[in-house]
Amino acid sequence: MSAAGALLDVRGLTVRFGGLVALDGVDVAVAEGETVGVIGPNGSGKTTLFNALTGLYAPAGGEIVFRGRRLAGLEAHAIARLGIARTFQASRLCLDLSVFDNILIGMHAGRRTGLVDFVVRRRRFLGEIRAALERASHLLALFNRDLPSRGFERVGQLPQIDRRRVEICRALAAAPTLLLLDEPSAGMNPEETAELMRDLRIVREEMPGLSVVIIEHDMFVIEGVSQRVVAFNYGRKIAEGSFAAVAAHGEVRAAYLGTEAVGA
Amino acid sequence: MPPLELLLQQALNGVMLGVMYALVAVGFTLFFGVLDVIHFAHGDIFMLGAFAGLTALVGLKAAGLGGSLLALPLTFAAAILVTGVVGVAAERVCVKPLAGTSPLMTLLATLSLGLVIRESVLIFYPRGADPKPFPQLLPQGGFEAGGVAIRYENLAILGIGLAAMVAVDRVIKGTKMGAAIRAVAQDPEAAQMMGVNLDRTVDATFFLGSGLAAVAGILSGLYYSEIHFIMGITGGVIGFSAAAIGGLGNVYGAIVGGLLFGVLQTTAAALIPRGSEFRDVVAFAVVMLFLVFKPSGIFGEKSVERV
Amino acid sequence: MSRDLALVWVAEAAVFALVIAGILAERPWALGAAGGALAAAGALVRWAPGLRTALARAFARRRGAALGCGVVLALALPLALRSSPYWTFVATLALLYVTIGQGLNLQIGTAGVINLAGAAFAGLGGYSVGLLTVAAGWPSWLAVLVGPWVAVTVGAILFVPILKTRGHYLALVTIAFVFIFNILMNNLEFTGGPQGIKNIPTLHLFGYAFTTRPVLAGVELPAHANFYYAALVVAGLTTWVLRRLHDSWLGLALNTLRDDEIAARCSGVAVARGKLLAFSIGNFFIGLGGAVYAVIVGFVSPPDFDFGYSLVMLSVIIIGGVDSIPGVILGACLLVPLPERFRFLHEYRLLLYGVVIVVMLLYRPRGLWPAQVRRYR
Repeated sequence: MSAAGALLDVRGLTVRFGGLVALDGVDVAVAEGETVGVIGPNGSGKTTLFNALTGLYAPAGGEIVFRGRRLAGLEAHAIARLGIARTFQASRLCLDLSVFDNILIGMHAGRRTGLVDFVVRRRRFLGEIRAALERASHLLALFNRDLPSRGFERVGQLPQIDRRRVEICRALAAAPTLLLLDEPSAGMNPEETAELMRDLRIVREEMPGLSVVIIEHDMFVIEGVSQRVVAFNYGRKIAEGSFAAVAAHGEVRAAYLGTEAVGA
Repeated sequence: MPPLELLLQQALNGVMLGVMYALVAVGFTLFFGVLDVIHFAHGDIFMLGAFAGLTALVGLKAAGLGGSLLALPLTFAAAILVTGVVGVAAERVCVKPLAGTSPLMTLLATLSLGLVIRESVLIFYPRGADPKPFPQLLPQGGFEAGGVAIRYENLAILGIGLAAMVAVDRVIKGTKMGAAIRAVAQDPEAAQMMGVNLDRTVDATFFLGSGLAAVAGILSGLYYSEIHFIMGITGGVIGFSAAAIGGLGNVYGAIVGGLLFGVLQTTAAALIPRGSEFRDVVAFAVVMLFLVFKPSGIFGEKSVERV
Repeated sequence: MSRDLALVWVAEAAVFALVIAGILAERPWALGAAGGALAAAGALVRWAPGLRTALARAFARRRGAALGCGVVLALALPLALRSSPYWTFVATLALLYVTIGQGLNLQIGTAGVINLAGAAFAGLGGYSVGLLTVAAGWPSWLAVLVGPWVAVTVGAILFVPILKTRGHYLALVTIAFVFIFNILMNNLEFTGGPQGIKNIPTLHLFGYAFTTRPVLAGVELPAHANFYYAALVVAGLTTWVLRRLHDSWLGLALNTLRDDEIAARCSGVAVARGKLLAFSIGNFFIGLGGAVYAVIVGFVSPPDFDFGYSLVMLSVIIIGGVDSIPGVILGACLLVPLPERFRFLHEYRLLLYGVVIVVMLLYRPRGLWPAQVRRYR
């Protein structure tokens, strides 16, 4: 697809760790409302791409343009505030904090009240937080009707699948324009994965304008949710196109799927 | 500007102090290497080593062996054994059980353990609040070379310190346990898959590091002719600083860091007015500057942060 | 509902009465009886589930009344301790530790920013008051208001350069800072060297000297009662402000960056700014505690602010409960008076603190009064 008018436009992105080249001149573009699947074997640079996009790694070359703005030199929190939210492969929730707190932090950047409101004009702050709690409840209820009533429990007490949902809610709470999902099905059994796919469809329906980039090993998930697939190997993009086209691509089959049948 | 001889003299003294600091720093860096923790009680282990050495000497004297050639090696052996055992116990009680929690927990636990060791010596050692004179075991006297006074005692301290460092180097590079320590420092999981016994390796590391602190403690007693229960706090901060300067996790960095800190202290004492009072202020200020401009130390900190 | 009210009042009054009895008991058997009664009450609540839930419900429903009753009892404390004026002073000290502990808790407990220089920042507050009043002739109240800002400023200068390094370097820098502070105070001319600064003028507000023995409705209160009330106001305000900050976007952001810095950054939290803010606000209240201490005792000297006191401050928050605001109050009210009551323990005080902290960290890491989840009230 053409890069013009894309929400996210990555050109020639290169990331190095010492002598190791983790990403080597990668081009990726994501249009508004589009869901892009990213596949590739372990260590092929998928998560590195996310870490560079969110400002955790400083690229050695190339550029990232998001909503017409170059992200070079911006810190992670500033990039997040521009509208890029993400989840992590290994869950990064604060297990000691409540379910609500874990989601509220996603809305933290959009707060309108400050120190004085917290202490003196408490009413203003409480009004804002009440609205935030309601939004958190709404997000939770999208995935699981029982979750809002557990909002003041510690996240550590929730089962794995609900934790993953809370993490997705945290990302959505920031009202992002681009959502990066790093292997959401990691560590899940087939039933949980099926639930996850249902959850992702709900996200699509609720937020049609949202663009999503999803890293997945599970080909069912990739096939089920993405409109376009990008395949990585050794830090390079080796194929791009529809799921069927990429899955049939010779280099992808050799590098990633080996001789196994696609989607099996 | 003080004459060159004075500076040389101070540099020599700095190296002397630096050798002791380095021995403490190596412990910090070893512990950080294998468990990724800062063992804040290590300074008090160093102090405990000095007191164990003193106790051993008093015992040997009572047994009529005080003046013999055996006294010195026996003293070192006893002190190394005591601190080694206490060090391993500290690791098993305060460090390993908290390894999975936040680093803050280990920090607080080891800090408190240091307090316990310190207060125990203060309360339970006879007249523990007073500074204790440390017997002079090393040959006295000295000679002059190029305007610099060199004492036999200092040469002996330097020699013992360097010997301890060479021994560490031999252990780490030349033994199976040393290989295990290096493997665990690199990647604990991979090391375990290669058949390294993690618990035993960690124990050995803490024994080794704590034993070195005992050597440093006795050398400090011999150098200053006096030990005090409070010496572990400064000793610990300096040892940690030295390890940080060198780059945490790097044994040779710790040695270089220790020597640098010692020389820095003594030159500061010589160069600035009322320097002996303010030498630590200068040394710590330099360490802070160092952390600002080269936070991972001269040789780079072992990095464990992953996204 | 009125049953709840009665339960709250009776419970608070009973604890208050038993504590006072324990403090004032002169004979061992009386002390034993008071202590035993407290322990028995505690055991009853612990192991009688009916009573426990009733009490919990009563306190949850009647939060305002519980707080009001607590305030009344706190105000009545000097009156109850009239026969032993020294104890009003001890209570004052405990309140200063509440103030300092709340500041330190924001740093260590809420934000995970390690500060082992609590003693030095309290010392900066105290010495600033000493210098501003004795050397510069400022009125005490003004010096007390300015002193904490010195702690904030020095703290920020120390902290900014190492904001981005890993946590243990902050531990190193803060320990080193306590030593530097002590060496400087001991050796500089203008801070009075080892003698420190003496004759710090007492507080005067609207012409009223705080050393006056207050008379309340014909009853003369202990000499330190004015300072006790001043410390109570300071500790109360500190707790009020910090509780509101804790239950706010700030407390949430600090908790998140403490637990997972990367998740916090990717959620739009400016981590460096948050840590600096927590460190500065914390140092303000630590410095405030030191400043009030200086006007109460009337002098400051280096040993009042050495590393050992940093460890005592740390013990307060660990024993009370890391990140727990009521926990800090409980910790200070246990750690300060207990060694005073059991004088034979005084020598073993620090040793016991150390042992207790290690045991707590291993078996009860959340402290005696664990932090609850934020409810935004």
